[in-house]
Amino acid sequence: MDRVTEERAMKGLMIAALTIVVGSLIAIIGVVVWKGLPSLSIEMLTETPRGGYYTSTGGGGILNAIVGSLYLAFGSTLIALVISVPAAFALQDEYLGRTRYAGRLRLALDVLWGTPSIVYGAFGFIVMLYLGIRASLLGGIIVLTLLQIPIMIRAMEEVIRMVPREIKEASAVLGATRWETTTRVVVHQVAPGIITAVLLAFGRGIGDAASVLFTAGYTDSLPGSLFEPVASLPLAVFFQLGMPYPEVQARAYTAALILLVIVLLLSLASRALAKRFRKNILR
Amino acid sequence: MTHDATAAVNPIRIKDVSGFYGPSRVLDSINLEIPRNRITAIIGPSGCGKSTLLKCFNRLIDLVEGASYSGQIIVDGVDVLGKDADVLEIRRKIGLIAQKPTPLPLSIFDNVAYGPRIYGQKDRAELEKIVRHYLEVAGLWEEVKDRLKTPAINLSIGQQQRLCLARGIAVDPEILLCDEPTSALDPVSSQHFEEQLKLLKEKYTIVIVTHNIHQAMRLADYVAYIYLGELIESGPAAEVFENPKDERTKAYIKGVFLNDLPPEAGERSGSNPEDFGGRDEDPDVQHGRILVPGLSEGD
Repeated sequence: MDRVTEERAMKGLMIAALTIVVGSLIAIIGVVVWKGLPSLSIEMLTETPRGGYYTSTGGGGILNAIVGSLYLAFGSTLIALVISVPAAFALQDEYLGRTRYAGRLRLALDVLWGTPSIVYGAFGFIVMLYLGIRASLLGGIIVLTLLQIPIMIRAMEEVIRMVPREIKEASAVLGATRWETTTRVVVHQVAPGIITAVLLAFGRGIGDAASVLFTAGYTDSLPGSLFEPVASLPLAVFFQLGMPYPEVQARAYTAALILLVIVLLLSLASRALAKRFRKNILR
Repeated sequence: MTHDATAAVNPIRIKDVSGFYGPSRVLDSINLEIPRNRITAIIGPSGCGKSTLLKCFNRLIDLVEGASYSGQIIVDGVDVLGKDADVLEIRRKIGLIAQKPTPLPLSIFDNVAYGPRIYGQKDRAELEKIVRHYLEVAGLWEEVKDRLKTPAINLSIGQQQRLCLARGIAVDPEILLCDEPTSALDPVSSQHFEEQLKLLKEKYTIVIVTHNIHQAMRLADYVAYIYLGELIESGPAAEVFENPKDERTKAYIKGVFLNDLPPEAGERSGSNPEDFGGRDEDPDVQHGRILVPGLSEGD
């Protein structure tokens, strides 16, 4: 193969790869919109199901799953964030970074990141049995928090590690403490990356079905308290798609569509937020 | 130039300071007095330990992995290197302008206000006054007064370094350390920065590390030459440059000149040491600086 042909072949390969990626994305969105849009109605968004989610006769909406998913995802993301930020900073050079533990922790977090969510679900189930808690909003939040933490820590940690030493020194030479440097300078530098990390984890949390299957359960009513079962959009998709009635299956696609829109809206919001922080950062 | 009364009062005393990176000794028992309200240049070839010495003054060396030090640096009767020294107060009192201009990821205003805010200044009007004052002192106000809210990173590199100067003096230090502050700048920006430093020596004690010997000549009242971690020679700039006592100092000053200036000028300078005393006005020195930008590059 001569050099020009080689160049063309590689270019073709890249275009093909991109086509597959963009094509599948469009296909996914297309199918969900095509199948889900017809059943989308105000009723779907504002009402809980009548007569059970698995029957074609009932009607009503999937507000229970929408509210449930938002509770689960926001609750767990918030807790995971509170735990992950200090943990990510702890892995930096100034703290644990120079010891051998940092490397081991990163490895452990990577393994956790890659752990299938059904394993988290099964683990959560055992813990709940042991503690005598039944499937509930609290159980779901705890397991989703565990699911999100490794993603958040690792994604944040990579960003925090990229902060130039000079910037920290520039703050230190003015007499700032490490805490002041972190909260007044480093934060500005890493904010866009932290927002991205949070979004990444939130997306995993809100979209995960397996981990909430045993831990949060499912219900037709709105979540009443932390200790009651709660519905979620991924499980609304899962259960309704498994029913032999086309009307119920269509509602599954509507649930998927709503899930997609929530994630999309959050992505856009976080991008706008990140942009505000990014303007002061040299790239 | 001779020691005069103000300079001799209360100098910074460096006593027996050694510095190490791991097992290797990069500074060997430095003893030196740095006069107040003067510009003292620490010169020497790259890697001679001069930056390490500078990092001892404000304990920035504490942040360098594997670095250690011994000895004393007495500032106003306090040993900066002492175990129970108040490092934060030392860093407020002894500012540092780094080699590479490093604006904080904030606006121009917030960069200058950063220090005062740390020390508790919250009043907006007061902060505005402070920011304006120090930007004026750093010679940057006129250029940025209409865009104080814009990101500091959008400034040119020369402006960034003057911003760092403004930020550094906004915490009201007594001593300003400059670690090759113009080595990342173009000749025009360098000149601008040097002029600001000359104005500032009335109020601050300035210690500048440079391997740009012309810069040392233009700026310094006192000079200390460090070679391989050892203090070879120190004294009033005119004396050291015109009549170096040590062979190594002589060789360094001469060597730099021979490599640096165009051949004829180098020969003339080499054969006639009196010419070394030339300051800003000396066309050869100016010429040499602009002709050989390599000299003003970083370590």
